[in-house]
Amino acid sequence: MKKTSTLKKVLRFIGKYKLLVALSTLLALVSVALTLWVPILIGDALDGIVGKGEVRLDAIVSLLLKALVIVGITALVNWIMAGFNNRMAYHITRDLRNRAIETIERLPLSYLDRHQSGDIVSRVIADVDTFGEGLLLGFTQLFVGVATIVGTLIFMLTINWKIALVVFLLTPLSLFIARFIGSRTHKMFKAQATAKGEATSHIDEMIGNMKTVKAFSHEDEALEAFATINGRLQKFSLSAIFYSSLVNPTTRFVNSMIYAAVALSGALAVVGGAGTFTVGQLTCLLSYTNQYTKPFNEISGVITEFQNALACASRVFALLDEPRESEDAPDAVTLTEASGRFTLSNVAFSYSPEKPLIENLSLSVAPGERVAIVGPTGCGKTTVINLLMRFYDVNDGKIELDGVDIRKITRHSLRQNIGMVLQDTWLRAATVRDNIRMANPTASDDEVIAAAKAAHAHSFIKRLPQGYDTLLGEGGEGLSQGQKQLLCIARVMLTLPPILILDEATSSIDTRTEIRIQKAFGEMMQGRTTFIVAHRLSTIMNADTILVMRDGHVIEQGNHQTLLEKGGFYAELYHSQFAK
Amino acid sequence: MKHLVKYLKGYTKECVLGPLFKLFEATLELFVPLVVAAMIDNGIDAGNKSYLVKAALILAALGAVGLIFSVTAQFFAAKASVGFVTRLRHALFAHVGKLSYSDLDRMGTSSLITRMTADCNTVQSGANLALRLLLRSPFVVFGAMVMAFTVDVPSAWTFAVVIPILSVVVFGIMLLSIPLYKKVQARLDRVLFTTRENISGARVIRAFGREEEEIKKFREENGALVAAQKFVGAISNLLNPLTYVLINAATLFLIYQGALRVDAGDLTQGQVVALYNYMGQILVELIKLASLIISITKALASAGRISSVLTTAPSMANGTLAFDANLCDDILVFDNVSLRYHAAGEDSLTGISFSVKRGETVGIIGGTGSGKSSLVNLIPRFYDATGGRILLFGEDIRRYDTESLREHIGVVPQKAVLFKGTLRDNMKWGNQNATDDEIAQAIETAQATKVVADKGGLDAAIEAGGRNFSGGQRQRLTIARALVKKPDILILDDSASALDFATDAALRRALREDTGDATVFIVSQRASSLLYADKIIVLDDGEAVAIGTHEELLHSCELYRDIYETQFAKGGATA
Repeated sequence: MKKTSTLKKVLRFIGKYKLLVALSTLLALVSVALTLWVPILIGDALDGIVGKGEVRLDAIVSLLLKALVIVGITALVNWIMAGFNNRMAYHITRDLRNRAIETIERLPLSYLDRHQSGDIVSRVIADVDTFGEGLLLGFTQLFVGVATIVGTLIFMLTINWKIALVVFLLTPLSLFIARFIGSRTHKMFKAQATAKGEATSHIDEMIGNMKTVKAFSHEDEALEAFATINGRLQKFSLSAIFYSSLVNPTTRFVNSMIYAAVALSGALAVVGGAGTFTVGQLTCLLSYTNQYTKPFNEISGVITEFQNALACASRVFALLDEPRESEDAPDAVTLTEASGRFTLSNVAFSYSPEKPLIENLSLSVAPGERVAIVGPTGCGKTTVINLLMRFYDVNDGKIELDGVDIRKITRHSLRQNIGMVLQDTWLRAATVRDNIRMANPTASDDEVIAAAKAAHAHSFIKRLPQGYDTLLGEGGEGLSQGQKQLLCIARVMLTLPPILILDEATSSIDTRTEIRIQKAFGEMMQGRTTFIVAHRLSTIMNADTILVMRDGHVIEQGNHQTLLEKGGFYAELYHSQFAK
Repeated sequence: MKHLVKYLKGYTKECVLGPLFKLFEATLELFVPLVVAAMIDNGIDAGNKSYLVKAALILAALGAVGLIFSVTAQFFAAKASVGFVTRLRHALFAHVGKLSYSDLDRMGTSSLITRMTADCNTVQSGANLALRLLLRSPFVVFGAMVMAFTVDVPSAWTFAVVIPILSVVVFGIMLLSIPLYKKVQARLDRVLFTTRENISGARVIRAFGREEEEIKKFREENGALVAAQKFVGAISNLLNPLTYVLINAATLFLIYQGALRVDAGDLTQGQVVALYNYMGQILVELIKLASLIISITKALASAGRISSVLTTAPSMANGTLAFDANLCDDILVFDNVSLRYHAAGEDSLTGISFSVKRGETVGIIGGTGSGKSSLVNLIPRFYDATGGRILLFGEDIRRYDTESLREHIGVVPQKAVLFKGTLRDNMKWGNQNATDDEIAQAIETAQATKVVADKGGLDAAIEAGGRNFSGGQRQRLTIARALVKKPDILILDDSASALDFATDAALRRALREDTGDATVFIVSQRASSLLYADKIIVLDDGEAVAIGTHEELLHSCELYRDIYETQFAKGGATA
């Protein structure tokens, strides 16, 4: 994404806080002016201190009191300004995150499937954070810094334009040096980053798989390889860190040269100026010199931060601008209680145009029928489910439910009519009760318990430390795979919609739970149109229709008997798997 | 923490010289106000221009020498901190290699990785900063005060009063805001968590039409985060205004007092300016010190985490006995063995007894969590039994040198991992000296010849984690890797789950034919994979409920029959 367009979007986001920006800007100007005023007053006071018996105490006291009041006001102004800046930055990040979650809820699942969740999360969390920090830094330091530089310059010019010119001409030198070192060290930092990446991936690989490493007694070789990478990292780190740490001393050196130059030229001006330039003014100029050079260093830091913040912002905006799921059609109907008659006619679908997946799939399912989807892992069984739930839309052909194209049904009501139990048993970090109540948050405790009983989950829930109030960890942590699945079944049991989509997970469940799940499934399916990703022979044999899938295609379709007689892939699968 | 100091050894010189040069530089800085004072009092008042030039040259010289000192200091600090952390990382890597499986379980590999990467980086920058600045900042603060005393004792008392007050303000606000920042972090974590949950659960949330509620929940958490941020902001924002007021009030008082003392003839104008300049130096350094302490606190926390790894002694003592496969034919005996993992409430294996003869094939079956993997993990001594004993070739397994033991046992773990490098490199993990022919043979047995050919032979590159291979391909290659060892005992821990049934069958046939008199353990969920085993151990909840052949178990063991029938369907095909 182009920088300027990101900047424009950022500005549009800031636009909402125009008033705060204006106030903060005003306060910054006031603060800078007051801050610069103090050294002048102090300088004047110092001029009142000439020598023994030559001190104008009255004048000094009134100057100092004035300075004290100004200092107090400055502090107050600074505090209020900082509060405004915080408010702006934090509210903007809040707005961004709220927009982000709205986007996420409406993104097509294809986006979520294609992108690593870690990447999306880091956009919403880390990138927004960096952006907020950058924004805050920009508000607080960039503007104040520039104002300080300009203000100092003006004040210095009014005091003594010749000395001001010395400062003005010499200061870019420190910036130049900083830039020079920065560009030189860039390469070293890149080398360091590469070496660091290498080390991290080696650590990741070897430590992450330490058990395998140990099984092959490969520890010494792994360490040896690591030592080489580690040595390289040491070399590059040292040069990167050392050379980059030169910026500080060298700019400080340049600043001290400027300081010496101002001290000399100022002192000479006092001597030769015959009272037009005083010691107090010199002191004031010296303190300005210190103030003047500081914002330059800060600003160069802020600019790097700000560029980084913009890069993050562009990643965030890329997410926010991602096309969302199409809205429900204006004439979409709200389905109340579907009968469960599905008709798929000539459905074609693929995740990417160059890899056709489902082609020409036609199928009609009468209410209450059972459809088993069979095939090796990764053959596209879940794709069919994705289409039925309208997580994805068909590319061609159509899917009708009760004679209505599902694209003409509101997504919400379509999905309310379908109960889904997937192999990927997603549970949220909440209590068991809240998990079961997901479909209907207002369900009573009795209803929840009844659903859990129907799912054969009640007995294990009762035995959990806090029963239905047991808090589950992320992804249902704390429960076995089988228990998680029972909870997912209970979740569907609570509303028991007219259509079911079930994924029969086989491998990771112990035998006893498996028998219970089978029972729960069996009871659930009574009188409902069911699509089931089937692994068990009994399920397959009892299905009204079997869809045999391979490499994303439905290659055979029929019931057990007809498919066996056909002697195709299903028959082969059946014989290799279930017969010897 | 003390534990880590030894990795600094060899960098003693750098650790001393770095801060020392920094102190030299700071000392030079402290002379600057004195020079300026002298310029005012001796140069300007006397109208002595050559004196002024000389003084300015001294200022420039102080700057130049300061530059040399600080560059030297930076170099030593960088060298020591980078060297220190390089050693630390090496020590960590080596130490993790010595840890046992149960140590690894306890610490978690992902946390170990974080310690070797992020924590090490934090320690490095913390050490670097500490070497450069930890001494410098307090030195300048107190140095400025001491210099003030040399200028004028009564005036200097202002320093003695204002420095403690400033310290209290700076560190007080810091201490006050640190726990608040932690709270902000905790709320940010909440927001992160909800975001992640909404992405991972997108299907379910949409299936139940819960999008609006989720947005509402997120908004609430997000609002709480911002409230916390603003609160801590309001407090930490006090730091600058308060210190500004304090230091300026002190300065103004200093000038007032100075005015009185100059009037009385006890002080000169230049000396007042010097005092004023010293006051200015203090503030800058105190603020630097506060932010330095934050980074050092972070570095210390990281150092603590690193140290806790390094101080964890490997929980498994190594034996000395070299492995000899010819000792006896009763190659493996489990005698009433139980296993309880660290901090687990219950045994994962209880009272397991069986024995295996040379060349036998042993099947292990049972549901998830029944203890199948735990059982086979005891054979290469990945874990020590917590009860009973295991005899390998007639000797207690704990008497063997684990490295020599594992050289004779080929393990194919459940998680099929390949490592970055070429296919040949990976195959040689089993045996460094394996020839290409031997490797090809192992690959053939593992039914992976076609996979290897398709990928371009043994020189084909494998990406980290083997992600350019499919699950099934990886499984076959990890089997081949174990076969390259020509092990006496081969353990397949559910290693064929991603293979289709035909390949699985071919693999089992090849293994039977090609592994000679090796003893093979097969863990599987599929009863069909174990039909021909000489012995099948049926595990349920950590106990061996039955041991026997397929035919025997079908008659005698109800659980086995259950498993078999749910997979084969009652009345389906006959065995």
